[in-house]
Amino acid sequence: MFWGKRLGSVALALLGCLILQRVGLGLNSYFQTMLVLAGVYVTLSVSLNLINGITGQFSIGHAAFYMIGAYSAGVLARAFYVPLDKSLYSPLNNGFQGLVQSISPGFTCQLQPLMWLIGVMIAGAIFAAVAGFVVGLPSLRLKGDYLAIVTMGFGEIVSIIVRNQEPLGKSYGLEIKPTIPSIFLTWLLAVVCIAVCRNLLKNVHGLSFLAVREDEVASSAMGVNVTRVKVAAFVLGSAFAGAAGAIYAHSLGFVSPTNFSMDISFIILTMVILGGSGSITGATVAAVVLFYIPEWLRDLKTIPMAGFVGAIFATIMVVALVKRTLDGFQEKGRKTAMIFASIGAGIVMTIALRFALKGVTGLEGSIDGNKLRFVVLAAILVILMLLRPQGIFAHHEFSWKWVKGLFKKKTAVSA
Amino acid sequence: MSQHVAVVPQENLVETELSLLRLDKATIKFGGLIAVNQVSFELQKGDLFGLIGPNGAGKTTCFNLITGMYEPTSGVITFRGRKLNGTRPDKIASLGICRTFQNIRLFSALSCLENVMVGAYLRHKTSLFSALTDIPPAIKETQALKDEAMHWLSVVDLAHEASRRSADLPYGSQRRLEIARALATQPALLLLDEPAAGMNPLEKEDLLLCVRKIRDEHDKTVLVIEHDMKFVMNLCEKIMVLDHGEEIAYGPPSEVRSNPKVIEAYLGEAV
Repeated sequence: MFWGKRLGSVALALLGCLILQRVGLGLNSYFQTMLVLAGVYVTLSVSLNLINGITGQFSIGHAAFYMIGAYSAGVLARAFYVPLDKSLYSPLNNGFQGLVQSISPGFTCQLQPLMWLIGVMIAGAIFAAVAGFVVGLPSLRLKGDYLAIVTMGFGEIVSIIVRNQEPLGKSYGLEIKPTIPSIFLTWLLAVVCIAVCRNLLKNVHGLSFLAVREDEVASSAMGVNVTRVKVAAFVLGSAFAGAAGAIYAHSLGFVSPTNFSMDISFIILTMVILGGSGSITGATVAAVVLFYIPEWLRDLKTIPMAGFVGAIFATIMVVALVKRTLDGFQEKGRKTAMIFASIGAGIVMTIALRFALKGVTGLEGSIDGNKLRFVVLAAILVILMLLRPQGIFAHHEFSWKWVKGLFKKKTAVSA
Repeated sequence: MSQHVAVVPQENLVETELSLLRLDKATIKFGGLIAVNQVSFELQKGDLFGLIGPNGAGKTTCFNLITGMYEPTSGVITFRGRKLNGTRPDKIASLGICRTFQNIRLFSALSCLENVMVGAYLRHKTSLFSALTDIPPAIKETQALKDEAMHWLSVVDLAHEASRRSADLPYGSQRRLEIARALATQPALLLLDEPAAGMNPLEKEDLLLCVRKIRDEHDKTVLVIEHDMKFVMNLCEKIMVLDHGEEIAYGPPSEVRSNPKVIEAYLGEAV
C-alpha cells in the first residue's frame, strides 16, 4: 500500500518532468533557457527556505553555495570531460536510449552527457555541502544580524577567491564545454528538493528544526541538539544550491563571478520572504513569479503615457481597497471575493482611464516599457509587503483544505 | 498507553539510597558577582522539593546550573551518580532532567500538540535520512510520538486545545503546556520555574493538584521555584530558602515558615 503510493508519486514526478522537457523542446531556445533557470531558482529558493524559513538561520550568502556548485562543475568538466564517440556507447546505454527515445524523442543525443550532468550535480552538491558545513559552524554561536553578516562575508570571500584564481578564469569566467540544458534534470532536482523539505516538515524531525527557529534555549532544554540541527540545515540547503549551480553551469555553458554576485543572494532571499518565510509552497511560487516578472516585463514595448498614469491611479485604488478588505471583513469567503473584485475593478479602471486621459495635454506621448521593468518589479514588491508582510502564503502550505478555507462563509477556526 | 510509563533504570535497584540529584557546594561567579554560593542539597526519588527566596536570590541560576545552561565555577552536581558539570543541556535532558521556564518559552508558532511533540522527539530512534525520505519507520515513529504527546496533553487537561497555536492560549494554559512539554521528555526529575506566576487562585488550585498528580501517578521527582508562599507551603514537603546566592534555611514547610532568618530575608530586618 505504502510502496504503491510512493512509487506512484515518484513515477508522477518523473512523468511531470518528462512532459515539461517535451513541451520545452517544442519552444525556442530562449524559452528553454527560461524553463531551466526557473527550475534552478525554485531549487535555490526552496533550499534557502530550509535554512532561513524553517530553521530560522538568517543566511544571505546563498549565492556562494550556488557559485561553488557551478564552479566545481566547470572545473571538473574542463579537467575530465571527454566527448564520447557514438561507437563507444555501451549496449546498456543504447537499450536505455531506445527506451527513453520511445517516451521522449530528442532526448537521445543528450543521454550520455546527461549521465555526466548527474555526476557533476552530485559533485557540486558535495563541495557546496562541505562549504555549508564550514559556514554552519559559526552559526552555532551567532544569531540574527550577526550571522547574516558572517554569511554575507563568506559569500564575498568565495567571490573574491574566484576572481583572483587563474584556473577559475578570474573575472572573465569559465567556458564549460558540453552545454547540456536539461529541463528534465533541472525540474527533477527542484521536485526532489521540495519533496525532501516536505518530508522533513511532515516528520517529528522537522519539528526539531522549527523548534530551533522558535526558541534555541527552550529546544536545547527539551533535548534537541541545536548544533546538529543547524549544521544539518546548512549542509542540506547548500547541497541543493550546489547541485543547482552545477546544472546552471552546464545549461549556459559559461560561468562568471557576476552571475553569482550579492544581488543574487538577495533575490533568493526576497523569494523566500515574499512567499512566506517557512512555507515551501510560498518559496516555490515566489521563485517562479519573481523570476518570471522581470523577464516578462522585458517584452513591454512602448506604453502610452495615458495608460501608464491610469495604471498608477488604479493601483493606488486597488491597494487601498484591498487594505480595507483585509482589515475590515471577518468572513473569509467574502474577503476573497472582495479582493478579486477590487483587482477586477482596478483593471477596468486602468482601461477606462487610458481612454479618458488620452485628450489631456501632457499625456499624449508614450514611454519605453523596457526601461520601467525594475521600477514595476520594485513597486510590486513594496505593495505586496505592505498588504501582506507575512508573505503570500504566510506559514501555510498548499492543500485543498486550505484553498477551501479561503472561500468559506464563516471565519475558519484555525485548524 | 503502557509503554509511556517512565522507564525506571535498573541500576536504581542496586543503589542503596534513593538519591537522585546532588548539589555539592555548587558555586557560580559572573565576574565579581557570586550568583550562587556553595549551595548543597540532595533530592530523593519522589521528593516534592521547593526552592524559595527573594528576587535575585539565585534560584533560577540554580536551575540553569542543573540543566547545563551554565557550568558551575566550582562544586559538583551529580545526577544518579553521574557528574553533570560541563554536560550539554540537550544531553542533560536526555539523562532525565527537564525544566519549564520562568518567562514562558513555548515554541509560539507551533500548535500545542507540536510543542509537546518536540519534547517527545527526545526519544526518537530513526535517522534524519529516513525522515527526509519519509519511509515507513519514520512515519510510524512520528505517529507514535504524536499519540504520546496527546497523552501528555490530556494529563494537563489540554487535549481539547491540541491544534491551537500555543501563543493563542491563555496564560495559565501556557504554563500547563510547558509542563506537558517537559513531561513528554519523560524525565525522572522535573524542574518547575515559578509555575504559578501570574495565575489566579483558581488556576493555582488546579496546578497544585496537577503537580501532585504528576508526582504520584507518573512517578516523578519535582523541584519547584515559587514566590507564592501559600502555594509552595501546600505543595512541597521539603523547602530550601536562598538569599543572595546562599542557603539560609532548609527543612519542612512548618519549620521554614517560622525561621527568623527567612522572615528577615522576606520582610527585612526588625527596626
